[in-house]
Amino acid sequence: MAQSKPIERLTQSRVWRSFFRHGWPDNPLDRSLTMTSNIFFHLHPVKVSRKSLRWNYSFGLGIMAAILYGVLVFTGILLMFYYVPSVERAYPTMKEIQLSVPLGQFTRNMHRWAAHAMVLVVILHMARVFYTGAYKPPREFNWVIGVILLLLTLGASFTGYLLPWDQLSYWAITVGTNIAGYAPVAGPVMRELLLGGTEVSQNTLIRFYTLHIALLPASLVLLISVHFWRVRKDGGLAANEAPDAE
Amino acid sequence: MTNELSANEEIFPKGTNKSYAIVELVRGDGPMVGKGPEKTVFSFPVVLLWEVLLLLGVTLALFLFSLIKQAPLDAIANPQVTTDPAKAPWYFVGLQELLEHMHPTLAGIIIPGILVLFLVSLPYLDHSRTHAGVWFSTRRGKRITVWTALYTAIAMIAFIALDNAFSMRESLRGVAPPWVAQWLLPALILAVIVLIPVVVLRRKGASTREVMIALFTVMLASAVVLTISGFLFRGPGFEMFPPWNMPDGYNPWNDF
Repeated sequence: MAQSKPIERLTQSRVWRSFFRHGWPDNPLDRSLTMTSNIFFHLHPVKVSRKSLRWNYSFGLGIMAAILYGVLVFTGILLMFYYVPSVERAYPTMKEIQLSVPLGQFTRNMHRWAAHAMVLVVILHMARVFYTGAYKPPREFNWVIGVILLLLTLGASFTGYLLPWDQLSYWAITVGTNIAGYAPVAGPVMRELLLGGTEVSQNTLIRFYTLHIALLPASLVLLISVHFWRVRKDGGLAANEAPDAE
Repeated sequence: MTNELSANEEIFPKGTNKSYAIVELVRGDGPMVGKGPEKTVFSFPVVLLWEVLLLLGVTLALFLFSLIKQAPLDAIANPQVTTDPAKAPWYFVGLQELLEHMHPTLAGIIIPGILVLFLVSLPYLDHSRTHAGVWFSTRRGKRITVWTALYTAIAMIAFIALDNAFSMRESLRGVAPPWVAQWLLPALILAVIVLIPVVVLRRKGASTREVMIALFTVMLASAVVLTISGFLFRGPGFEMFPPWNMPDGYNPWNDF
């Protein structure tokens, strides 16, 4: 690597080397160290099989779901700067976001469509994993985590649906929570626990908001991390188990 | 003799400054024995480039879609004025469609509960390691998927259409106790729809994996049919309307 003097002095400096514990990744050792010494990269193995990289094996759906989740966190935090979860203020702040906040409508659009896309992509990811038999041992437990992640994703989407506090959200949540009320024995209690009362109200709004911005995203981050980590621990994508036939 | 000597000299050349040697020959179960050449690449930078590419692609698609399609915002919530129809978000509209055909406890709690239970227990029911990592496992698996999907689509469309035309709930009113029309018959019909492929496959000596493929496909195809029916074909009062005949102002894409 032909490096100019200033760059060389920078990469040799004490400060730089405290950040990066490896040299320029143009050789096997430094390429390995790049992956193992970086917290964000270390979820990847140092080497991957060519089979698992074929786009028409996984279609990148799992990574796409994670990317969409990232978009949702980013746009969600932006929206939180303006949104107020109270029955009196929720709808007016929605209007404010759309009409007077710079790029407010656009940020909300991104959040909305990313949420729908994430539900769709997660379902497609599950179908991919099923049809490629990637739930088979030793990956059984990671499949179970995946099922929980699907339910959490649906929960996150559903709780977010109420927040605009418009007719669409109000009645969709009324319909949805009514279903919970039909559960045998625990139904009415479950419904009341969700709603914080007998109908969709201020209590419901603050409960859904807290679930939507704290409990569900935190659970998702935790389980997505476990999910990724286990993909590595269980030997990468199940494509690696397939016999060589290229 | 001389031949052997030269071969020996070739393997262990004299006067070289390299230091290597065959330590041992392994016939047996060593970690790399029988695995053939390693077909791997360094994750850096290939995997990361793929991920950056996906990141750019996904955000660009969202970006463009968000420029042309606005997120809906209806009038402010009013508990006194019911919207008509009050539809659940699209991923629950399949359940809402199912609710039209049976008792809410069956459609809203028991069936989803069974589905979640099925998904969670699936890897423990089908625990063979064969054919992992291959789409549809085998050619036969692919055929099973296609035929089951087709069969399920037809059966579920027939179930929805027939129950809509000759409602079990209405036609059995007064003839049989309500639990027959609300619980017994719908549960029985769905059970038959689910079990037919299982029985057929079992008779043909199908493996557990193949039965699972059929069951999963029944689930997925039913969900798709129910969702499309609830999303596109339900108008005011959650009544069935063909999309081309939907009354004005009930365009299902509006709330999307």
